[in-house]
Amino acid sequence: MLAYIVKRILSLIPVLLVITIATFALIHIMPGDPSAAFLGLEATQADVDALNQTMGFDHPIVEQYVNWVGGLFRGDLGDSLFLHQPVGQAIAEHMGPTLSLAIVAQAIALLLAIPLGIIAAYKRDSALDQLLRGFSLIGMAVPGFLLALFLMLFVGVKLKWLPIAGYAPLADGIWQHYRYLILPGISLGTIQAALIMRMTRSSVLEVLHLNFIKTVRSKGLRETKVLLKHALRNAFIPILTVIGQTFGTLVTGAVIIETIFNIPGIGQLVINSIERRDFTVIQGVVLFVTLLYVLINLIVDLLYGAVDPRVRLDRK
Amino acid sequence: MSQTPLLDVRNLRTHFYTERGRVTAVDGVSFSMEPGEIVGIVGESGCGKSVMSQSIIRLLDYADDVSYEGEVRLGGENLLQLSNSRMRKIRGNLVSMVFQDPLTSLDPVYTVGDQIAESLRQHRRLSRREAREKALELLRMTGIPSPEQRLDEYPHQLSGGMQQRVMIAIALACEPQLLIADEPTTALDVTIQAQILELIVELNRKLGMGVLFITHDLGVVSEICTSVKVMYLGQIVEEMTTAQLFANPLHPYTQGLIRSIPRMDGDRRQKLHIIAGTVPSLNDKPQGCRFATRCPYADDKCRNEEPPIATAEEGHRLKCWYYEEISNGLREAVGHGD
Repeated sequence: MLAYIVKRILSLIPVLLVITIATFALIHIMPGDPSAAFLGLEATQADVDALNQTMGFDHPIVEQYVNWVGGLFRGDLGDSLFLHQPVGQAIAEHMGPTLSLAIVAQAIALLLAIPLGIIAAYKRDSALDQLLRGFSLIGMAVPGFLLALFLMLFVGVKLKWLPIAGYAPLADGIWQHYRYLILPGISLGTIQAALIMRMTRSSVLEVLHLNFIKTVRSKGLRETKVLLKHALRNAFIPILTVIGQTFGTLVTGAVIIETIFNIPGIGQLVINSIERRDFTVIQGVVLFVTLLYVLINLIVDLLYGAVDPRVRLDRK
Repeated sequence: MSQTPLLDVRNLRTHFYTERGRVTAVDGVSFSMEPGEIVGIVGESGCGKSVMSQSIIRLLDYADDVSYEGEVRLGGENLLQLSNSRMRKIRGNLVSMVFQDPLTSLDPVYTVGDQIAESLRQHRRLSRREAREKALELLRMTGIPSPEQRLDEYPHQLSGGMQQRVMIAIALACEPQLLIADEPTTALDVTIQAQILELIVELNRKLGMGVLFITHDLGVVSEICTSVKVMYLGQIVEEMTTAQLFANPLHPYTQGLIRSIPRMDGDRRQKLHIIAGTVPSLNDKPQGCRFATRCPYADDKCRNEEPPIATAEEGHRLKCWYYEEISNGLREAVGHGD
């Protein structure tokens, strides 16, 4: 298992190299001078030159890259042009709400999708299965922002059960914190739930046709044990893959939902930074989110090994 | 023969409900077996032998629309009438099963020890520790090499023969009265086959457990079984002792099967005998004798009227209108055949 973990982590090195180059190139591929773009049309050439100098944009491009990557190793993502604070600090301040939202959305998705997926697989082709499959189709087809607007209208405005928009930090109390996250969590989590449910259904269904399920039944186990202990665990690798993928999209997909619900997360930081042409922040956030993706994939890979001994024992 | 039979199957029918209508895979099977007996069930692929054996412990309950008719009596209880929870107490406890392909029949994500212990803990009140010790003991009994090490290994780390020994250890965990072995050696190398057969016979003698051995290999039958049921299209067409099977097979189908065994001492230039035609689909079974479409002796009576079960000698019964004439050489092969 240890060798497997080390191997997975070492294989990240080339990935990280490509990520930093791509992220860095992002700014330099943009046409025109980044400083001029930031300062706007009224800026004089002297202002632009001055900003180029403070930001180091007058140095050769390879040197700029090396300086930037060197800074990354020290945890320095550069300074924001607009916020007058380090990019790292800005990301850290906005990460909390995004992560909270992603966790709520993922929890809603998992709590719904896995049990329903198993039930649909077990009762395949029954009316219940058809109904659940219908729901999952609708769940995948309805865009998150539309669902968000409906939820705001019915649950927030008409029924007044939950706040329409806004955010309360965890410091205000747990209920206060989560109250604000339920509607955005549902809006964000529905598509994930639909995807995970479909994968759970098809994966469990496939495992239920395997020979060892007969063996397990011939031992006299009850069906709940057959399903949860044997079928689900064997079906879990594809499910885990979808969970990993959807968790990544939760963080990025939150951009729209955060804007609609006015949650001060990474999404809002990105939107505002784009409007302000605050490209060091954009660059920092892109890098950060990409790293998050990589990290989630690593965790998923490690979990494969935990779920299936053939993964951790066979690969030499 | 006066003792109560271990297993008494009476007129068992297993129906599947498919899109194309009802298909009867097991069609009126009756037989009984004594405690400690090894009974062979022989037939070609698709003759219903696997479905029949799985019907005994109702493993098909979980498949799509299945229904059973008749009786399967184990110690006086009709298994077909039991509630699901009562049935679960019989599976793996009084009756166990070993399947054909050991690798796919074991759960790949649990260790060998866990899978044996699971059976034990399902039916006996044992602590984890006790279950593990018992599992080790069972593995040792199957003669697997270095059993201590195997406990913590996963199925894919073992050879086919070892996997089948593990399957047997799982099946024997609760000392069942009846072991149903569904082609347990078919997927194994010939040398390993012999070892597994030996193990089954040894355990049968030591534990006194009855074995229902499903196979398509008459060689295996001759080695281990005390009596044999020959199945064709969902019915038992002939049943007898193993000695009678080879000395005096009476049903044309059984005779065909025996003549199809390749012989080491025979003339090499002689063509291998095959039974003409193929097994008809379950959807259009012949209405008279099931074998009529392939039988060299069949006439209109065979094609239209189902033969009754006739007793040829003590313990030897079969379904054929003309077996006496055939065995006396009074009936010529017509139509198909060689």
